[in-house]
Amino acid sequence: MTSRRAFLKSAGLAGGAVAAGGVNQVALAGLPELVTQTSAATAAPLVPDTGRPYRPVVTLNGWSLPWRMNDGVKEFHLVAEPVVREMAPGMKAHLWGYNGQSPGPTIEVVEGDRVRMFVTNRLPEHTSVHWHGQRLPNGMDGVSGLTQPSIPSGKTFVYEFVARRPGTFMYHPHADEMVQMAMGMMGTWITHPKAPHPLIDEVDRDFVFLLNAYDIDPGSYTPKIMTMLDFNLWTWNSRVFPGIDSLNVRQNDKVRLRVGNLTMTNHPIHVHGHEFVVTGTDGGPTPRAGRWPEVSIDIAVGQMRQMEFVADEEGDWALHCHKSHHTMNAMGHDVPTMIGVDHRDVARQITGLIPDYMVMGERGMADMAEMEMPLPDNTLPMMSGVGPFGSLEMGGMFSVLKVRKDQPRNDYRDPGWFKHPAGTVAYEYTGVVPEPTRARAAAPPAGAAITGGAGGAASIDIQIRKPQGHHGH
Amino acid sequence: MTAVQGSRKPAPTLPRTFPRTALAIGLAFAMAGCASVDIDRAVATSNDDAADFTQGALQLARTPEQQRDREAAADALLAQPLDQNAAVRLALQNSPQLQALLAQSWADAANGAQIGRLPNPVFDFERMRTVDELEFGRLLAFGLLDLITLPQRYGIAQRRTAQANIRLTRDVVAHVTQVRQAWVRAVAAEQSVAYARQVNDAAQASAELGRRMQAAGNFSRLERARQQAFYADAATQWASARQAVTATRAQLERLLGLTEAQAERLRLPPRLPDLPKAPMPPDRAARTASAARLDVRLAQASYEAAARAQGLTRITSLTDIELGVRHDTMFDRAEGGSTRRNGYEVSVRLPLFDDGSLRRDAIGAQTLALTHQLEATLRAAGSQLRESYGAYRTAYDVSRHYRDEVVPLRKLIAEENVLRYNGMFISVFELLADMRAQVNSVIAAIDAERNYWLADAALQAAIVGVPVAANPALPAGVAGSAGGPMLAAQGGGDAGH
Repeated sequence: MTSRRAFLKSAGLAGGAVAAGGVNQVALAGLPELVTQTSAATAAPLVPDTGRPYRPVVTLNGWSLPWRMNDGVKEFHLVAEPVVREMAPGMKAHLWGYNGQSPGPTIEVVEGDRVRMFVTNRLPEHTSVHWHGQRLPNGMDGVSGLTQPSIPSGKTFVYEFVARRPGTFMYHPHADEMVQMAMGMMGTWITHPKAPHPLIDEVDRDFVFLLNAYDIDPGSYTPKIMTMLDFNLWTWNSRVFPGIDSLNVRQNDKVRLRVGNLTMTNHPIHVHGHEFVVTGTDGGPTPRAGRWPEVSIDIAVGQMRQMEFVADEEGDWALHCHKSHHTMNAMGHDVPTMIGVDHRDVARQITGLIPDYMVMGERGMADMAEMEMPLPDNTLPMMSGVGPFGSLEMGGMFSVLKVRKDQPRNDYRDPGWFKHPAGTVAYEYTGVVPEPTRARAAAPPAGAAITGGAGGAASIDIQIRKPQGHHGH
Repeated sequence: MTAVQGSRKPAPTLPRTFPRTALAIGLAFAMAGCASVDIDRAVATSNDDAADFTQGALQLARTPEQQRDREAAADALLAQPLDQNAAVRLALQNSPQLQALLAQSWADAANGAQIGRLPNPVFDFERMRTVDELEFGRLLAFGLLDLITLPQRYGIAQRRTAQANIRLTRDVVAHVTQVRQAWVRAVAAEQSVAYARQVNDAAQASAELGRRMQAAGNFSRLERARQQAFYADAATQWASARQAVTATRAQLERLLGLTEAQAERLRLPPRLPDLPKAPMPPDRAARTASAARLDVRLAQASYEAAARAQGLTRITSLTDIELGVRHDTMFDRAEGGSTRRNGYEVSVRLPLFDDGSLRRDAIGAQTLALTHQLEATLRAAGSQLRESYGAYRTAYDVSRHYRDEVVPLRKLIAEENVLRYNGMFISVFELLADMRAQVNSVIAAIDAERNYWLADAALQAAIVGVPVAANPALPAGVAGSAGGPMLAAQGGGDAGH
């Protein structure tokens, strides 16, 4: 993780280069410096050096946009443009985003700030920006056609309003919305309270990420924009496991997670080892009387949730969406279940025809994570990720909350795998396991298992293949 | 000339006696101008005229030694996988059909040359008795007109012999072309059948997996039936492919004239030759085809024979003159002596009722028809060549397209599908289905290559002037014809028959 100083320097350089390349210099003369980000790593929190002070957030695999103060107005410059986003090592997506990345940079302001947003459109079509959840003048709401003309290609528009309400918000286009959101146009907006707020606690670590989803055919780069629900990449900030950074905290830190959902379905976000309370929604901080402990919170489409807990349990704790298909990467949804189908002899026949064929799925799908087999270009295994005890067999919306006693304050570096105290890891029982007594039905007549009964009462002989330690393939 | 009855010794014995008989009864002066037929020279001419087709190996076997040589040569050729040239050579050495063709050509040439001979003189002997007299009358008569027109007859005979020679060459070229094409079909069929088996294997694996999937409860009857249906279809395709092997091979065996024992030894190479690097350029095909084209020469020879015959018919249709030498002897019993009489007779046919005009008209019309036939052949020759070349070039381009585009693309798709299978994006059933599609493309590529070699053989024949059906994909056309000239339905140019 780069230091903030180094980051700003390099970001400034990169921004200069981009500005020189694309938009008219004269037109940009009055604009705030254009900063872009080329890395998909989690940037260090952007500590404010002008304007009202606040405790900055950390954007998972993202960054916060620098600003300039101009006569007491906080000025940001967003550039809508095509970007290449690394979704995980080994896979890059051709998306649309802001300032070099998708999602765009997090915008952090303080309650009461007057904010001026310059939005330059470098997309091939018009766009607009809707400031999701904000109180603002109607003409600043960014709904093209309704509250403003859309921003044509090559033009820069200005939005200006006061950030009236503290909380967690989002921004995204409201022009050709289906396409532009499917292409990754979105970002997070944080309005910090300007003074201690009775319902908003100070926290030690404040993480934010957006839930988004893509349908990118294995071997291709651009999302299919017509997909309605059957996405194959379930992402946090346009990253999938094992490309999502871990959330590294110090033991007993108070941690806040801010999660927004811009996918087309709900996501039950689940934290292991701790209970949290929901302290805020899109509508603002929740009353204390209405908070109850949870280990999962379902985040509906277009919603934001703030969860808070004290990370008092050391260890490596899973943090993931509880829809199990959402912790998988691209997979075939029409692949039939092969469980219980012993076909090693048929496989030999198939191998004669297709030499690279390997048997998979007859025991389940964990084979997939075990075998490292060549895949099409630019795609990821359905499940992967290696932990200290083997394969994690995960993908998509999955990360790890790492709680460490010795993690320094304000240090977000990855501490590595947890070293378990002796006797605190599940272990193998080596004694005798007696066969359970089961009531057995009468054996079905021969052949019935294959043909099935005409009356619909098919009698299937369940044959479980016991693990035999065959790792030949 | 009667056909030989016994099959042990075919044609050879007959021709040998034929000239002897002719010599024995011929008259000395008639001998001088008589036309004769030398089949060996005719075969040598065919070997020269169609060297690419006969490889110089065409020969009419008439002696047991020659017969043994043929068998030995066939054995040597059958000892190895038979490439296309070897197949042609084997047909030339071994095929009774070709031998029949040669012998028939000899017969045709001899029949054609018959007109160049004088009819034999007639010897008439009379014995007459009156009361006391016994009379012996002797008359030796021959057609004077025949003798006068002998040079003309000789010319006609020569033309007819030449005609028979060209026809022989043409029939040999047609036969050899059929052998080439049959060889191509047989090899292609064997090449395809291996792939058809792969399709079948893939479908069988799908069906078996489908069965087990249903047994394990993972497939419905419908899904399992779908996999089973692929297998059912593939099985029929495979059966057809195997039948194609049997049929094309049998056709080749017939054209090679193999005995059952020889057929068992026949082995074919595993695949067709590669496509040539570049197709024959059109100007080379046109340049190679020349005035030496067989169809043009045949039409020319037919026309010339008819034109000469026309001159002869003009005279013979009108009249006929017969000259006889008479020598009579009379015995007189009463007087006990004999007297002799010598003299000659001339008989002339009087054109009173038939002035011969119909015969002259007929022959004139025939000649006119042949004139036009020759012109038509000349005009059609270039067009046929262009058609053959077009078929050849298209077959080449299509086959190359399969080789360079379709098959590599299919291969790429297959490789990518394995990767997709690895990533669990597709199932093993889709993998097997794709494999079947891939193999079917390979079979189509083999068909395209086969069509190229068929078109190539047809073009070679067209260049020397024997138009052959360019590209009948199905081997059915030739199946039944077991003898005789094998020129099925061709265009004009063959007015001589």
